[in-house]
Amino acid sequence: MAADLLQPPSFLRPAETLSISQQAPHFFRAQRPSILPYPLSLLTNTESQGKWQTYENMLLACLRTGDNESAYVALEELTKRFGDDNERVQALRGLLLESTAKDNKDLEGVLKSYDDLLEEKPTNMPIRKRRVALLKSMGRTADAITALTELLDASPIDAEAWSELADLYLTQGSFSQAIFCLEEVLLVTPNAWNVHAKLGESIYLSASSTESDGDRLKALSEAMRRFCRSIELCDDYLRGFYGLKLTTNRLLEKLNKTSKPATASSNALAGDLAPPSLSSVQRLNELATSKLAEIVRRSSSGEKGWDGYDQAEVIAARELLDRDTQGVQR
Amino acid sequence: MAEPVVQTIHRDPALFYWILLPITVVMILTGVLRHYLSTLLQSAPKPQPLPNLRQHRSLMRGVNLRNNAAQISPAAFAARKDYLVQAYKDGKFLADPEARGKPRPNPMTDPAMMEGMMGMMKGNVAMMVPQSLIMGWINAFFSGYVIMKLPFPLTPQFKSMLQSGVGTRDLDVRWVSSLSWYFLTLFGLQPVYNFILGSNNAASQVAQQMAQQQMGNPMMGPEQDPDKLFANEAENLEVIEHRYILEGIEDRLLASLSL
Repeated sequence: MAADLLQPPSFLRPAETLSISQQAPHFFRAQRPSILPYPLSLLTNTESQGKWQTYENMLLACLRTGDNESAYVALEELTKRFGDDNERVQALRGLLLESTAKDNKDLEGVLKSYDDLLEEKPTNMPIRKRRVALLKSMGRTADAITALTELLDASPIDAEAWSELADLYLTQGSFSQAIFCLEEVLLVTPNAWNVHAKLGESIYLSASSTESDGDRLKALSEAMRRFCRSIELCDDYLRGFYGLKLTTNRLLEKLNKTSKPATASSNALAGDLAPPSLSSVQRLNELATSKLAEIVRRSSSGEKGWDGYDQAEVIAARELLDRDTQGVQR
Repeated sequence: MAEPVVQTIHRDPALFYWILLPITVVMILTGVLRHYLSTLLQSAPKPQPLPNLRQHRSLMRGVNLRNNAAQISPAAFAARKDYLVQAYKDGKFLADPEARGKPRPNPMTDPAMMEGMMGMMKGNVAMMVPQSLIMGWINAFFSGYVIMKLPFPLTPQFKSMLQSGVGTRDLDVRWVSSLSWYFLTLFGLQPVYNFILGSNNAASQVAQQMAQQQMGNPMMGPEQDPDKLFANEAENLEVIEHRYILEGIEDRLLASLSL
């Protein structure tokens, strides 16, 4: 149980989260300090490295499953230990208030309290981030973007904030801004394969919205290379292979149509890479297809070591493969 | 064959109750007291004001860009480089744009620095005062006593460690003088404090002195002029040669997956 609890619960599946939060009452009883007098109580000290991380994760798991009473108990323990003015505890308290808010007016109140806290101490990053998240969940995306850009002006090496901003821009359809933000994330965490894939996805999306043919080709090859990088960093990354398959499909269409690869569109002076050769795109497409098929097959038969994939993503991959075979039959 | 003569000294059993035990108890209690005293005297580290945070992190952004430039396309890199170099040169991220170009003020006149130094002084005083007091107390009352015998033999090198204050050349090394017992407890009580006070206590002065030596150097060194740091970083960015990691990635990937 402790091993489970040391991971942030946002990476857990709903069923696992539920099982954790069901253990909450038992957990709190076990952690209760002993009632022995002072010198003897030293012998039963429960303070350990993972204890407070466990409390925090328990709190989050309880909030996810709607067990607000247990969440409140955990928050009280954390407050007792770290004090009321600890930034992280303040953010957790805000989270609890947000999730127990009944209507929009309550949420406005929480937002007001965040503003007060920030007035007092403008460097309170956890509260700043909660404020952004609250604005986002209240549907005020423009305000959230403004708040995030302010945060990033003060702290431009915050990968979390950059990727959140990229997400917000993507929902607004501002692809070039999103790409910029994701590039910033990569500058902080150069080997994050999921960010590489995400950047590939954004470039792919932007490719569909460009007008000129040459630009589209350039964007598609850029996206494909991003997916390649993501796979290079993580061998079995499903999203990477999915994106690779998608982009190579499109690229094959494009490259077949224009029999002569448009070398003119690649500007050597700007340092852009030339579009990839037809043969390598073809081979990459084959590679992606076979790997996707393998992942789908092994994951759906529940093979050991292959069961970590998100179900929805596996289904999407299977759908993509099916679409491809149908196209061949037609 | 003569057996080595075993030295026997008849000690008054009262020595145990009136010297050995009191020294030990006093040492433990001083440690506990020192812990609480230093937590009381400790001023919470002052939070960095936002402009300073911004200045520091903007500099870090430049460093990140320099280190991980390969991750982004040449066009994106060039745009970022131009922006950052220009902003660095203009001092856009400086916490205190007014102070630009002026010489650094004397750290002694800076109230924030003074406060930091005062905090360190307080810690030192809290450590030094009880130590010298107890040492004086032991010297005045118990000097010259041999208070116990170790149950195991030792080489003569330990003589100076175990028998300080007792100037007898022929005394077996296993006998421990009161002053030496003081030093032994001074350096050896850390596990006891850990048990009583929790793992990161401020009771042991040895641990504290070590921590201070490690921390002291960057804190005491003259703080660098942020404007100079920015100018330096701008120069570093300007001379960097950009290489794009996605160049030839298709072939690399195909080769590595051996298709």
